[in-house]
This record gives sequence, C-alpha cells and structure tokens, in this order.
Amino acid sequence: MATDVMIAASGLTKRFGSVRALDKVSFEVQKGEVVGFLGPNGAGKSTTMRILTCFISPSAGTAKVRGHDVFEEPLAVRKSLGYLPQRAPLYTDMNVYEYLQFAASVRGLDDSTFRKRMKRVVEVCGLAQTLGKDIGTLSHGFRQRVGLGQALIHDPAILILDEPTSDLDPNEKAEVLKYIKEIGQDRTILLSTHNLSEVEEACARAIIISKGRVVADGPLDDIRAKTGAVRYIVTVDEKKTLKNGGAPKAAEVKAALEAIDGARTIRELPTDETAHKFEVGGDKAGDLRRELYGLMVAKGWILLELRREAQSLDAVFRDLTRSDERLDRGYAPDEDDDSDDDDATTAADDDDSDDDDSDDDDSDDDDSDDDDSDDDDSDDDDSDDDDSDDDDDDDDDGDKDKD
Amino acid sequence: MSPLLTIARREFRSYFDSPLAYVVICLSFLALGLMFFIYRGGFWQADKASLQAMFEYAPFGLSALVVPVVTMRLLAEERRSGTLEMLITLPVRDSDVILGKYLGALGLVLVLVVTTLIYPLAMFRFPWHLGPLDMGPVLSGYLGLVLFSAAATAIGLLISALTDSQAVAFFITFFVLVALWLIGFGADAAPGTVGTVLQYVSFQKHFEGFAKGLIDIRDVLFFLSVTVLALVVAFRALERRKWA
Repeated sequence: MATDVMIAASGLTKRFGSVRALDKVSFEVQKGEVVGFLGPNGAGKSTTMRILTCFISPSAGTAKVRGHDVFEEPLAVRKSLGYLPQRAPLYTDMNVYEYLQFAASVRGLDDSTFRKRMKRVVEVCGLAQTLGKDIGTLSHGFRQRVGLGQALIHDPAILILDEPTSDLDPNEKAEVLKYIKEIGQDRTILLSTHNLSEVEEACARAIIISKGRVVADGPLDDIRAKTGAVRYIVTVDEKKTLKNGGAPKAAEVKAALEAIDGARTIRELPTDETAHKFEVGGDKAGDLRRELYGLMVAKGWILLELRREAQSLDAVFRDLTRSDERLDRGYAPDEDDDSDDDDATTAADDDDSDDDDSDDDDSDDDDSDDDDSDDDDSDDDDSDDDDSDDDDDDDDDGDKDKD
Repeated sequence: MSPLLTIARREFRSYFDSPLAYVVICLSFLALGLMFFIYRGGFWQADKASLQAMFEYAPFGLSALVVPVVTMRLLAEERRSGTLEMLITLPVRDSDVILGKYLGALGLVLVLVVTTLIYPLAMFRFPWHLGPLDMGPVLSGYLGLVLFSAAATAIGLLISALTDSQAVAFFITFFVLVALWLIGFGADAAPGTVGTVLQYVSFQKHFEGFAKGLIDIRDVLFFLSVTVLALVVAFRALERRKWA
C-alpha cells in the first residue's frame, strides 16, 4: 500500500444490536486531500468517524490510519490525527487556555512546543480574545473553534471533523470553512456534513453515504455528472394568464409539465413570488427549453423564469439518498415521484420499527442498489445514540433541513 | 507528565472550580463535629482520650455523602455531555482514563480525610491538651480510613461508569455503600452461614479492627481487593462502548 494513503477503510460494518449502522463501507483518503463525508442524518457518518478515531470498534472490516490499524494500535492512530466530535463537547468548567493546555499535555507536548503551537492555533482559529474565558460562557461558534484548536494543537497530519459547522450561524459557518480551507492546504482532512454547499466550498472530493453504504465516491464533478441529468427551473405566474382560462393551479402546471416528453422528474420549489416554481429533471443529451416555452405559449401562461442547469450537487445527493428517505416515510421505493406528504409520516414510523427486527438478517447487498435498502431503515438515528451520546439526537432533530 | 497524571490533575482541579468540593468539605466537617461531640453525649461523656467515636462515624459519612457526591459525575457526566468521546480520542489508554479519574477523585476524598487530623491535633497537641492520646489507634484508624476511601471511591467510579445520569450514579452509590456498611450490624444477628457471609462482605466489620488499633492483614487485603476489582470492572464497563 502506498504510503500516501492516510486513511484506508475497508469493509467497515457496524451493528448496534439488530440495526446495521454501517454496511461494508470502504474508501481511501490520500495525503493532502480534503474530503467531504456526506450523508443524511443517521447515515453512519459519525459512526464511521468514531471507528476511525478508535472510539468504537467495527463489527467487521478494518481501518487503517496512516498505516496503523485502528484495532491493533489505537494509540498510534490517535496520535496521528486530530478529531473534533460532533457539537464540540468540551469541559465547560475550564477556560480556553487551560483546555488547550490539557489537550497538549495529554498528547505529551512539552512546554516550549506547546507555546509555539499555541501561537499558531490562536492565529488560525481566532482565539486571541477568548483565551481567558470559561468555555461554558462561549457561544457555540467559539466552542467549535476551541474544538478545532484542540484538534490542531499537536500539528496532526490528519484531521477528522464531525459536522464542524452544524449549529453555527452563517457568519460563523463561513469562518470555520475558511479555517478549514486554510488548514487543509497541508493536511489531510475528512469532514462530515449534510450541508452540501459547504462541501462544494471546501472539498475537492466527496464520499456520499446513505443508510450505512457508500453510494458515491469521487471528485465533485464526477459525482455531479454521475446521474447524467440536467434540470430546468420553470416559474409560472399564478395570478395572471394571457388567455382567459383563469389562473393556473399548481397541480395543473405540474400535470402539463409531466406531459412533456423527456421530463423525468417534476418537483415544486418554494418561492416568495406569487408564482409556481417547478424543477424539471431531464436528460443531459436533450434540451427541453423549446418544449417548455411552447407549452407556456399554448396554455397562455406567463413564464417568469426558465433556465437550464447541470444538476446541482444538492440534487445528486437527493437522488442518491432519496429512496431511503422515502422508505422512512413509509412509501414504496419509487424512482419517479418525489412528492412529500407529511401525513404519511406517523404510519411510517410503525412500519419501520417492525422492519428492523425481521429484515435485518438479509444477506448484504452491495451498495448503490437503493431498492433493497429496506433491511436497515430509519432507526439508524438511534443506532448512533446507542453508543450513549445524547448529542446526536438533538443534532439530528435540529438539522433536518438542507436538502 | 503522563496522560494518566494529566487526567488525574484535571479531575482534581475541576472539583475546586465548582462549589462542590467546598460544600462537601464544609458539610462533612460540620456533620462529623456534631456527631463526635454531641450525638449521644459524644466525646465528653465517654471521658476517654480516644478518637474511637470519630472512626465510628467517619466511614459512614464517607459512604453516605462524600464518596457518592465526589464520584457520581466522574464518568456519567462525561458520557452525558459527550466529553468522554473527546477525552478518549486523545491518545490515552482506557486504563489511563479510569485510573486518572480514580486518582483525581480519591485525591479529593483523601484531602478530606487528612484534614480531619485537625481534630486530634487541636484537641491533644495544640492549643488544647485534653489528655494523653494513644497515637497507635489513631494512626491505624487513619490507615483504615484511607483504605476504606480507596475501596469506596473505586465502587463509586464503577457505578458512575455504568450509567449516564449523575443522579442515578449518586443514589446507587449511596445505597451500595451504606448497605455495605450497615450489613455489618446485621451480621451479628443473622444466623449461621448468612451471618458469616455478611461478616465477610461488610465494610464495617473489616473497618472495626483499624478503629481499635488492630491492623489485620486480612482487612487490608479486603479493601485492596475490592478496590482493584471495582477498577477492573469499571475499565471493562468503559471498554464496553466499543462493542455495544
């Protein structure tokens, strides 16, 4: 194995009781890469990171960090990496300086090295003003910075950051991302998030996991191209028409769009205007703009916006992880339709819990086959928590946005 | 400094960053003083230059108040707040975490135990001279207290490692330690084998000798084995997270 492989996971599987949180996760991270580790809540991001940092052990499979096996040499592994757990759990009774000193001391840094590193960490993480403050009094953004600081204090070659930007306000987010980019120039970073714009901003490569399986892994452009789709944004005025047919209803527009040959997915988007805004998915090869315009003219609807764009990473992400989400909501797996009816949610929960018990012993399928994903569904959220941390739970609830 | 000592020092210091240590120390002194001098006539009626009464109450106070309060948060709180993940993913062994926390907590308990030396010193050396104190039983009593604290703190740590609620850890530790103390009194009344077993398990029975100035190697070994056993189980409980 080349020495440039900093993180190598192969066939990682983790079961929490009957729930399979990770299913044969394999990937490699090379030296100097900044990799975004993406997935919906409960997909197994934190579990993977906890295995890599030797906090928990995999049920099967191996992982190596800088050539050290997580099972055989946990101390060597932990020495070579800096880790920021989700929500930056810090000792709130210590002040920032004491905390960093504590981390440095546990890591065996001597005084002069500590002072040197401290200077750099304070500079990179912007901690100069807060050094003397109790961590308990800091805002979440600053705690996140302190967490980043302790992960950097020993100048590690590898950084593992678990949702470093969750719970931050947009300014803080931008700053943390700025730090990460800055730090990432000479380090290997594995960064988990479910916020895709962050990945686009900070990472060159992404690994997308869903329900414990890797569903995509590669440079962002490749992933974007993976589904080979383009989308059209169509906005139609909902009050006026050019003909006297009355104002168009959303369902009407949707039906008309569905009738267009080549339109694969139709999704209504939220908008502030008094208009219906739809996203129409189509093949990369064709161009539906003529048809769309023709439709508007024929119906006499007023077209406010029409644009064609390569599928965003957001959409790719949704495509790759959607069928799992559908299962969570109690729908049959379905490739075409995308409507979200919240009514079905309650019934869905019951179904899910049943499935866990009965279906879990199915033979393992390889990844990317979304239809078969019913063997480990929605309770993955819990599976992270079984590991005794309450935090995950809150977090998962709080950040269910960004899709 | 080794990771173990760093953790121990942080743990010890953190007691003094919160009012907890001060409250516990003050309350225990107050309680011990009241018991010693006033309860059932106390020291004055005994009419002896002896601290035996103190050694009767001190372990009970440690069991019922000091040790549960000091140990309840050790691992439970870290687990709840998630800082355990941060701590363990530093390059430390699980045993460093257990022993570091143990030493930190034991340190505080021993500070308390040692400060009770003020009683005999003030009463029999300076400023008062209430009589000729036989130092032998006092020293053996303190040895007993140290061993007792070591075992009780280890049990508290173990219980804290098993739950993620401080309150639960407190009550279970309280119950276990008080029970281990009180069954000594039941042991005399209980018949046959049950009585013998209770006698073996009771902290009170094993402590009795020390209070009288009698250092029995069996008692010493008893407290040491309980300590080691509890620490090993706590270590396993901490490791359990990997597989659960």
